[in-house]
Amino acid sequence: MRRWAADVPFWSAVPFVIVVAALAALPLSLRISPYERNLVTVAFLMISGALAWNWMGGYLGQVSFGHAAMFGLGGFVAARLMLHENPAPAPIAWLLGGIAAGVFSLGAHPMLRLRGPYFSIATIGVGEASRLLFTYWEEFTGGASGVSLPIDIGMKARLYWWALGLAALVVTASFVIRRSTLGLQLLAIKADVDAAADVGVNATFYQDLVMVLSGAVVGITGGLWASFFSFIEPADMFGFDRSIGFVLMSVIGGVGTVLGPVLGAVVFVLLRQFLLASYPQLYLGLYGILLILIILFEPLGLTGLGLRLARAVRRRRRAPGVVAAP
Amino acid sequence: MSPSRRFLSLALSAAAALAAALLPAPARAAKDRILVGATLPLTGSEARVGGFFKEGYELAFDEVNKKGGLDVGGKKLPVQLLLLDDTSTQATAVSLADRLVNSDKVDFLLGTYASHLVEAQSTVAEENKIPYVNGGGGATKIYKRGFKYLFGLISPVELLGTTLMQWIDEQQKAGKLPKPAKIALVWENTAHGKDFRKGVSDFAQKSGGAYQVTVDESFELNGKDFGALLGKVKAAGVDLFLVDAHLPDYITMHRQYVGAGLCHKVVTYGARGAEKDAIQALGADNTAYVLSGVWWSAQLAAKPGASRDFVGAFKAKYGGRDPEWFQALGYETARVLFTAIQQAGKLDRDAVREKLQALKMPSLLPGGTVEFKPETGNQVQNPFVVQQNQKDGTAPIIFPKDAATGTGTGANPKCAK
Amino acid sequence: MDRFVDLAVSAVLLAGLYATMAYGLGLIYGVLRVVNLAHGGVIMAGAYLGWILHGWAGLDPYLSIPLVVGATFLLGMAMYRVLVRHLPRGPAGGPASLLLLFGVWLVLRNVAYLLFTGNDQVIRTSYSTHALPLLGSFVSVNRLAVLAIAVVTPALLHLVLRRTYLGRAIRAVAQNADSCTLVGIDVERIYTLTFGIGTALAGLAGLLSATIFSFNPGFGSGELLKSFVVVVLGGLGSVFGTGVAALILAIVEVFAILVMPSYLTAAVGFVMLVLVLVLRPGGLFGQRVLG
Repeated sequence: MRRWAADVPFWSAVPFVIVVAALAALPLSLRISPYERNLVTVAFLMISGALAWNWMGGYLGQVSFGHAAMFGLGGFVAARLMLHENPAPAPIAWLLGGIAAGVFSLGAHPMLRLRGPYFSIATIGVGEASRLLFTYWEEFTGGASGVSLPIDIGMKARLYWWALGLAALVVTASFVIRRSTLGLQLLAIKADVDAAADVGVNATFYQDLVMVLSGAVVGITGGLWASFFSFIEPADMFGFDRSIGFVLMSVIGGVGTVLGPVLGAVVFVLLRQFLLASYPQLYLGLYGILLILIILFEPLGLTGLGLRLARAVRRRRRAPGVVAAP
Repeated sequence: MSPSRRFLSLALSAAAALAAALLPAPARAAKDRILVGATLPLTGSEARVGGFFKEGYELAFDEVNKKGGLDVGGKKLPVQLLLLDDTSTQATAVSLADRLVNSDKVDFLLGTYASHLVEAQSTVAEENKIPYVNGGGGATKIYKRGFKYLFGLISPVELLGTTLMQWIDEQQKAGKLPKPAKIALVWENTAHGKDFRKGVSDFAQKSGGAYQVTVDESFELNGKDFGALLGKVKAAGVDLFLVDAHLPDYITMHRQYVGAGLCHKVVTYGARGAEKDAIQALGADNTAYVLSGVWWSAQLAAKPGASRDFVGAFKAKYGGRDPEWFQALGYETARVLFTAIQQAGKLDRDAVREKLQALKMPSLLPGGTVEFKPETGNQVQNPFVVQQNQKDGTAPIIFPKDAATGTGTGANPKCAK
Repeated sequence: MDRFVDLAVSAVLLAGLYATMAYGLGLIYGVLRVVNLAHGGVIMAGAYLGWILHGWAGLDPYLSIPLVVGATFLLGMAMYRVLVRHLPRGPAGGPASLLLLFGVWLVLRNVAYLLFTGNDQVIRTSYSTHALPLLGSFVSVNRLAVLAIAVVTPALLHLVLRRTYLGRAIRAVAQNADSCTLVGIDVERIYTLTFGIGTALAGLAGLLSATIFSFNPGFGSGELLKSFVVVVLGGLGSVFGTGVAALILAIVEVFAILVMPSYLTAAVGFVMLVLVLVLRPGGLFGQRVLG
């Protein structure tokens, strides 16, 4: 899998650019209603968040159950900046929200020496403590009743392109990180942090770097989210369910890959929307079953499943008439 | 296949999956009916109440359709409710409202339940300029955003705090409660709780020292252990224990309250107290003299009028069960929208909005009329009715006097010893 | 002074509850090195089992302890045989087991939701709201019973681990599974039984919580988080440490109300969790294996 990611040639940017261009043109077509456009916008935001989570959870192998803290922080900082008497333009507010979230995640630096389940449990603690503290901090988050942003009629339409741009940027960054020596060093840290340090990888620095980047991108996503919904409250933004969402999207799609979180986010958003409308009582259990099956049978999730299918097809093409051995 | 081609095929199939999921949009039916969209929390934390509102909505729609529909400009049009489940989740409430408006092309919207969901969802209505009438968002903050298409049929929770204090004040003036009276004010940390707190503490402040808030604490919604909090209340030696909580917290907290041997002259859990579930879970003896203020009570049917008609119709449809305020508010919310549509005489959204703004409708709500005033952000200001639980498990209305079906007990006689 | 006694009594009672919730989580981690995220789901299942037995068969929740413990013991063994057994061992298995068991939790929640709806339920007995005077303050009968069980349970657990063959085998496996295979201990069987016992303890905790709190299918997440704090504080895998850690957490939480708004007292536990993990990863009492 590592070889696969590292071998992607530069010209694979061509199909990527085509897909992004097609998506950018989508709202201009008459067939897409505002409802569908908004759904895709949410999917873009989830893609960005899931990929950024994956930098930590997949590339570095540090499974975080507390990314809602950065999501919420980014969202509320952006919202406060937009509500200021000299309101910041939305893109600047989002960016500053992201920076705030990035700085905040640097505070988790001492936690990085925890590995595996210890780290995960610590992130649960950070996430829940943040939720309680920020809910209590009335002046900043509006307390339990949250913050409303003034309605900007054209905002949702514009946000489609902003969210697409962000998602495209994060996808590109994910590829670049994967291909670069940084990606290799992260893999080394993931496999064995001490061994990596022995061969000269500055493990502390790279872990901090990835954590700050991951937190900042999730924070920016939170800012766009705030603009999109015009109303945010801490219980929702900092909620445990939101942290879980990032985990589920990446794991269902394929943890550690680039395509995985993208697929996972799309499935997450669509599944939620369609299952909720018709079988609201089933969606949690379905995620649970998917999670169990993926962990047991296909650790690379939907991406792994796709690769397996592709391999099977190739094998049959190469050897017509011969039944492949299991 | 080379690795890059593999990536290409995967990327394309992902794009195809996305496109496929977006394809079908329901075909638009001819205008032979009025389509009203709504979401309610039918699953999730607010599921129980969501189900109650649904009953209210459905009764109102049935009644209209039994009469052949609404009279719109001389033509009878049946009304159809398109109800989706928002699972008590904000993002879902918003995106489903989006779907109702842009994909299902509903003509009007009715609201969901619980303040935070209404606050999030009403933005969709405002953006799309669609009248949105709700009976589930009581926080005043929702109505301070200057929205034009948002109408709230549920009086502010702040007023609930004030109303309870008015009754308590009567008791104090009658010498049944000490003066000054010390208050423990305990509120759930939500918009609901904060409004309640404001109502009570404003009243106490203006009382000129007749009331002192000695304990002022919040707790988390669906909290589990109130031991420390109750310990603090106990240590403060207060006279009045005024709480605002939702049903599960009321049951849990009151159970621990009784278990800790606490007793206060006046005990209230805000809008909760008289629920059958709670009295069953706690025992009528333990819930006796608990005070509650509600937006409507089935006991209002004691006198002829809109409430009696509603209770009769509700019992006929739902097997003799008594409605609670949730169903009444749901029912009245739909009726308000229907009345405005008929007055407008057309399905034009702005015309209906104007009629809603100008509406003055006889209503089953306490106070008897519904009207939306711009100065309160189009949130009604109807009074609350105060009930008090009795030892036999009933909860007569004790305040205001014109609606009372029983007399209240000023100070809990159980604490005398 | 009165107030101090009140708070102290309240803290001890709370500690009993926390300890019961945490034993199972600690035991499974100590032996299998698996963080059982389904713990919260089993707590919820235990609560509903007690509720069914009380509602349908009229069985008192304390009398139904053997049934609930037995049922969740079987559930735990099944979970191990069908799912957990297939996970990779070692550090790579950490996140995988976390996620797998989280999936189990989601499924349990959904099943409970389909069976019992999302409404809040309570187990109400004739003595639910009874209180006894103690040291000048009132103590709920239920909470006293929970405290008693919280004290008896680790004592039993300790006896089992020290005095029986099974217990010695469990401790041996926890220390070094590879050499156990060499001396003829069926490690898989020990793992299965341990997972069963750990899950049964969670079921017991759920049943006991149900006598005090109202619950719905989402019940158990707060309990799981508290259990984390206790287990981490006490050193993952230490039975004695778990009890002391529960007491520390309860005391800090209860007395925190003297210096901060009650709403924030819930955050104290989480802050402690992070601090202890970072500063003393082995727990406050050092890393012991099933002492």
